[in-house]
Amino acid sequence: MFKINPLRKRQFFGSIIGLIVGIPLIYILTLDATEEYISIGPMNTGHNDLKCFACHTDAKGNLLQQIQSNFSHTIGVRENGVDFGTKDVTVDNCLQCHDRPNDRHPVYRFSEPRFKDAIKNIDATTCITCHTEHQEERVSVESINYCMNCHQTLVVENDPIDISHKDLIAKEQWFTCIQCHDFHGNHKYAVPVKLADTIPMKIIQDYFDGGSDPYGKLKKYTALSLEDWLKSFDK
Amino acid sequence: MKYFYKITLLSLFMLTLLSACGGVPEEKSTASHSEKAFSVEEVLEMVAKENDVTRTLYTKAIVGKGKAQGMKFDEDWRKDDVEAGPLPALFLRGVASSIRKSPVPLGLYLGSDFPVNAANKFVGKQAELFKKIKMNQKPQFFYDSDQKLHTAMFADVAGAGACVSCHNDHPQTTKTDWKLGDVMGATTWQYPKDSLSYKETIALLGSYAQGTVDIYKEYLAEIEEFKKSDKPEIGSKWPAEGNYLPTAEVFLDSVKKLSSYETMKHLVAKK
Repeated sequence: MFKINPLRKRQFFGSIIGLIVGIPLIYILTLDATEEYISIGPMNTGHNDLKCFACHTDAKGNLLQQIQSNFSHTIGVRENGVDFGTKDVTVDNCLQCHDRPNDRHPVYRFSEPRFKDAIKNIDATTCITCHTEHQEERVSVESINYCMNCHQTLVVENDPIDISHKDLIAKEQWFTCIQCHDFHGNHKYAVPVKLADTIPMKIIQDYFDGGSDPYGKLKKYTALSLEDWLKSFDK
Repeated sequence: MKYFYKITLLSLFMLTLLSACGGVPEEKSTASHSEKAFSVEEVLEMVAKENDVTRTLYTKAIVGKGKAQGMKFDEDWRKDDVEAGPLPALFLRGVASSIRKSPVPLGLYLGSDFPVNAANKFVGKQAELFKKIKMNQKPQFFYDSDQKLHTAMFADVAGAGACVSCHNDHPQTTKTDWKLGDVMGATTWQYPKDSLSYKETIALLGSYAQGTVDIYKEYLAEIEEFKKSDKPEIGSKWPAEGNYLPTAEVFLDSVKKLSSYETMKHLVAKK
């Protein structure tokens, strides 16, 4: 056998312990059953059954290639950097399960130049602005007054509500919008005509935080489950 | 000194190792010179012309003639209790939505200075350029530096009686004196690259055509679900002949017949 230099004994045993602890740890942490321990936080409502790979896919190239590409980008000899480890999660990941033809506010619409000022206040071109993942909630906006960014000049002909939209806008009662209208228009429900019959803000906030759905259970479209999403690749 | 020498050697070794492995191939924002076939302006003009043909055909031959046969078209056509087809503006939105789902990074939007839906009113740069479009009907191009997208705007002209009558009579219209030939709005197109290879151009045109088929098929699927209204017969005939609607394939074939000469002229000239 090889002889260990007495001066190097500490390093040698340190390395052995590192290997003994490290290898099983890497193995254990890459198992499906331990995903929750490497996740940065609990999944949002409705995403509890998702596996990491549903959103986090391997980035292009191996580790060395990724380091080299990003190093080259840092020193200016390459135009773009690359994703490191896993690809950045983008809108496309979300839309693979949540895309539908009847979305009242589809993200792509906000890429049009006329929404330039609105998206400075709330970047509606991406889902995570309002639905930040790993927060164990549904909606993560700070204030529910985001409709003000586009609907300041809204006019509703034959306005059916007892306090008109015009008055609500003039009084800057922007939080009342969501008490009648769900942002993506995915619920089938009768919109109230009296402000007193609308959904109270407390219940809306509970829903945003992950509570039960106050707009009802009837939905126009149901997002794909993990199983359905996987099956979609077979088509 | 010895320590410094070791560090330098190690750094050189690491750098050599890094360089030797080769990086991840770079996706450039512009096609290489040899691949470059069309400027983004040329391609957007091509697809905008195809859009003109498609929209005019849909508006005149499907909506216009269909209405005469008793078919209904409604802005709320997707609602469960509404048995109708998409109005031309919503047909275009359907195409845009389908393109968005394709791998082609093409954006398509419709707006106006007097839109039925206030959310579609042009503001800022688009409003400024739309004034020019209204004067000369010439396309306008600009680079949207915020989003790093090459942007083009094309006149959307009232080419059918149905455009004028529907907009003038709409309960939420902001203008009631539209007439045939008016520039009622403009389509805005966006693409991230300043030039496209032949393959990318074909993919972009294909994506638009697929968008047309997708939204038209959605309309046909909607008809399948009609409970109260008469269902038109779907086949090779058009509403001009009676209570008929063409299949998606027949509809697309007609679009291609009408638009292919112009498109092919551009494609072949460059080939």
